[in-house]
Amino acid sequence: MTERTPISAPAGRCAATALLCALALAAPLRAQEAEPQVPGFAAPETPTLNFYGSPGLIDMPSAEMLPDGQFTMGLSNFEGQSRLTATFQALPWLSASFRYNGIRDWNFGGFEAYYDRGFDVRFRLREESRFWPAVAVGFQDFVGTGIYGAEYIVATKSFDTPALSPGSLAGRLKLTGGMGWGRLGSHNSFGAPFGVERPAFVPNSTGGKIDTGQWFRGPAALFGGLEWQPDDRWGLKVEYSSDAYLTETQVSNVFERKSSLNFGVEYQASERTRLGAYYLYGTAIGVNAQIQLSPYRPATLLAAPAPLPVELRVPRVENPLAWSEDWAGNPASGPNLRDALESELGKQGIALESVTVHGDRVELRYRNLRYRSETIAVGRAARVLAQVLPPSVETFRLVPVSAAMALSAVTLRRSDLEALEFTPDNTEALRAVAGIGEAGPEPRGALPATGLYPNFAWGVGPYFEPSYFDPDRPIRMDVGVELAMGYEPAPGWMIAATLRHRLAGNVKDGRLSNSVLPHVRTDQTLYAQEDTTLKNFYVARQWRPGQNLYARTTAGYLESMYGGVTGELLWKPVSSRLALGAEAAYVRKRDFDQRFGFLDYSVLTGHASAYLEMQRGYVAQLAAGRYLAGDLGATFSLDRTFANGWSVGGFFTLTDVSAEDFGEGSFDKGIRFSIPVTWFLGKPTRRSVGLGIRPIQRDGGQQLELPGRLYGQVRAAHARALGNEWARVWE
Amino acid sequence: MRHPLRPAAGVLTALLMALSGCSGGTRSEPLYPQILAAAQTTFSKGKSQRAAAARPPLTRAVLNDIEGSYIEVTLERSGIFAYLFVSTTRPDGVVQWRTEDNVTLTMRQGVLIATRGLGGDIISSAVNTAPGTQGPAGGGEKVMYIRTGDLEERRLVLACDLADLGPETITIVEKAQATRHLRESCETPDGGRIVNDYWTDNRTGIVWQSRQWAGPHIGYLRVRRLTTG
Repeated sequence: MTERTPISAPAGRCAATALLCALALAAPLRAQEAEPQVPGFAAPETPTLNFYGSPGLIDMPSAEMLPDGQFTMGLSNFEGQSRLTATFQALPWLSASFRYNGIRDWNFGGFEAYYDRGFDVRFRLREESRFWPAVAVGFQDFVGTGIYGAEYIVATKSFDTPALSPGSLAGRLKLTGGMGWGRLGSHNSFGAPFGVERPAFVPNSTGGKIDTGQWFRGPAALFGGLEWQPDDRWGLKVEYSSDAYLTETQVSNVFERKSSLNFGVEYQASERTRLGAYYLYGTAIGVNAQIQLSPYRPATLLAAPAPLPVELRVPRVENPLAWSEDWAGNPASGPNLRDALESELGKQGIALESVTVHGDRVELRYRNLRYRSETIAVGRAARVLAQVLPPSVETFRLVPVSAAMALSAVTLRRSDLEALEFTPDNTEALRAVAGIGEAGPEPRGALPATGLYPNFAWGVGPYFEPSYFDPDRPIRMDVGVELAMGYEPAPGWMIAATLRHRLAGNVKDGRLSNSVLPHVRTDQTLYAQEDTTLKNFYVARQWRPGQNLYARTTAGYLESMYGGVTGELLWKPVSSRLALGAEAAYVRKRDFDQRFGFLDYSVLTGHASAYLEMQRGYVAQLAAGRYLAGDLGATFSLDRTFANGWSVGGFFTLTDVSAEDFGEGSFDKGIRFSIPVTWFLGKPTRRSVGLGIRPIQRDGGQQLELPGRLYGQVRAAHARALGNEWARVWE
Repeated sequence: MRHPLRPAAGVLTALLMALSGCSGGTRSEPLYPQILAAAQTTFSKGKSQRAAAARPPLTRAVLNDIEGSYIEVTLERSGIFAYLFVSTTRPDGVVQWRTEDNVTLTMRQGVLIATRGLGGDIISSAVNTAPGTQGPAGGGEKVMYIRTGDLEERRLVLACDLADLGPETITIVEKAQATRHLRESCETPDGGRIVNDYWTDNRTGIVWQSRQWAGPHIGYLRVRRLTTG
């Protein structure tokens, strides 16, 4: 979710994670309380997670898939081996995981304790049917140094078991069996069906490469187990593990493996949280906390205050005079109506930018300040128009505006609003008669809002600046207070600045860069030495250069590491799924103290981008161009966006920098997610909390972090986004 | 961990700042004050739920002094209740009721057709009503369009039977009221069941009391007509 207003209270990045955990724990379990026979929208059955944060048993995977869109966090530990895994079910048949793990008492390869990151991906090969089990194939830790590298094919079949007591629900028994390679083929293997060559794990390698050559190679072994859920709270698990933990038990001395059998008991503490305790490998006690969030099941249902009823007009036959358009000839009526609209719209969190009234029609240009969804603002603005305007005004043209850029036009007929407000299925009925199109230039005779410009706004709040995956310390963090200011002298113009003062933190104690490329991003430790910094200070202008075109130019101290000049042009027809953009910038590296000075590094960077909105809310972007270190290449990113504002995605960049020059990780990649605050609070607000994580921050394939990029601003008010959220138009 | 207190102090400071975040100007609705406000609301909601048991005693003498029509609505799940006034009426028998804090219930001939402001609302409904008849006019299909999930609207189809349980005299705050008790029993295709009750009076054109199901997220509502203005 892109912030519309440059004046944003600082985004709480880490707060997001903390908030997630707190809410997951706080939400009470509601399963058995309601009478079971009352109709409801049942939650889809969710599999439990294993120690790798994937659906599974204890240390072994199963063939189950999470419900589509599910987002899970798993934290497991046994014998000093901790794994924190985030998993996203990107498609009904595909899930992806990102893991951060630490092993205490490693004492091998130069590491006292060993920290690593890894990605997993799992595919469903077939769904469970009446007689046949579900089958899945998984690639564990397949990018990077691959300490947990393994491949597996696994099958799971579930059965109902009799209820424990009369009146309670039936239990569930799940049987799992599979074959594993790599780590999962290391204990009691029966041979190597697809070849023997498989390189050993090397903790000091650069990593980051996808090792297709070793997949399903080397010794293979069988694993399996069962899970029994006697009711909807408790679960018992037992498994036979095919993981010999060779490195941990033979090369190093992390723990002792005496048995292949693991046992566990799990308890559903709340609708979103499951806790487990386990006895592993004949020697170890383990714990696992599983948190599952679904964009489809908000923590709190969104409850916007009820809107105004649509004001009915007196029927024309009863009072033809009231329907006269004569009022439009009076020069005072325009300003009077504008003042009345401005005040009524303000109560709905909508700022009037300008209004053009005619005897039979009106065009309202407005900014939506409160609602994340543009359709709820459309509906509410239309209700205000129906309340304020004389009966002769029949056509409402509603134009949402973002910093002087008119984004789209929704045309509604007043008589449709009156007729449909209380009819069944009014959402679809109104959709059928609403027009969505290009906004076009502002009409002649538009009355601008009074006292809107110049506008000054400011905000003070906390900020969190994390730095991840330092080998010495997994998470470093700066916290402080941030003052953000914005001044709009005229429509489309913005002068903004952000000041920060750090109160505590340890990012400044991090490692210095060992990069052989220009240090375009890896000097973060040097940039963290001063307590008081000027994060940004810039002038920006946004405008519409022509039909379907959007433009922005920004100059000044753009972000904490770069200052300069940048321009962007975007082509996006309202109803098009495709958008094309170009961005160029000439920037200079800022001084480490982040005040007004610059360092001796400047670069011309820029990208041409194509954006595509796809099915299921996927938005893909391909950007090709020149990056901050002067390297040439392309970035591919894919995000799944939900109508309620959730977005989860990932990106990777390949440039002409070699893997050796790039350093650890070989190429730039990462994941990101954003969750709207509305989802937690159930109250209308435009804010989101988000987090972007790179397994390692290097200098290849790096882009500017610019305020106010165009695509996010524009997409939210275009046909596809409006259509996805149309259910809110009557809310 | 040379300074074990430092992280704790950092967390505390961050919390304090989160609570004290503030802003000015007309164009921003900043995050942290909203979180604070929401937390306060949740807290006070908790308090009001505890207080729900101790409902202030209503007397007919007090109600007689009140002008305008009011209904009392109780959410069965939480015990939260409110008094609603008429927000708008339509010639076709639609009445929208509203609370002071902008929750609305919309009825057609006394049958609930829409809610707003509760979360998981009924956006619209197809119900079987007839002019001049209070409550449902008969059995048959009833469709509710419910806001749920990822900003979607889901269609919930109910197959209903209407039974006339005969005349019944009910008492609403010391006042006896002759009514006819209608019971609407509905089933969903997957076997879910709900029961709505209406105590109607076609002579005055009022549904004096009802218990109606408002969808899976809201559950049952208890409604009684306190004043007729």
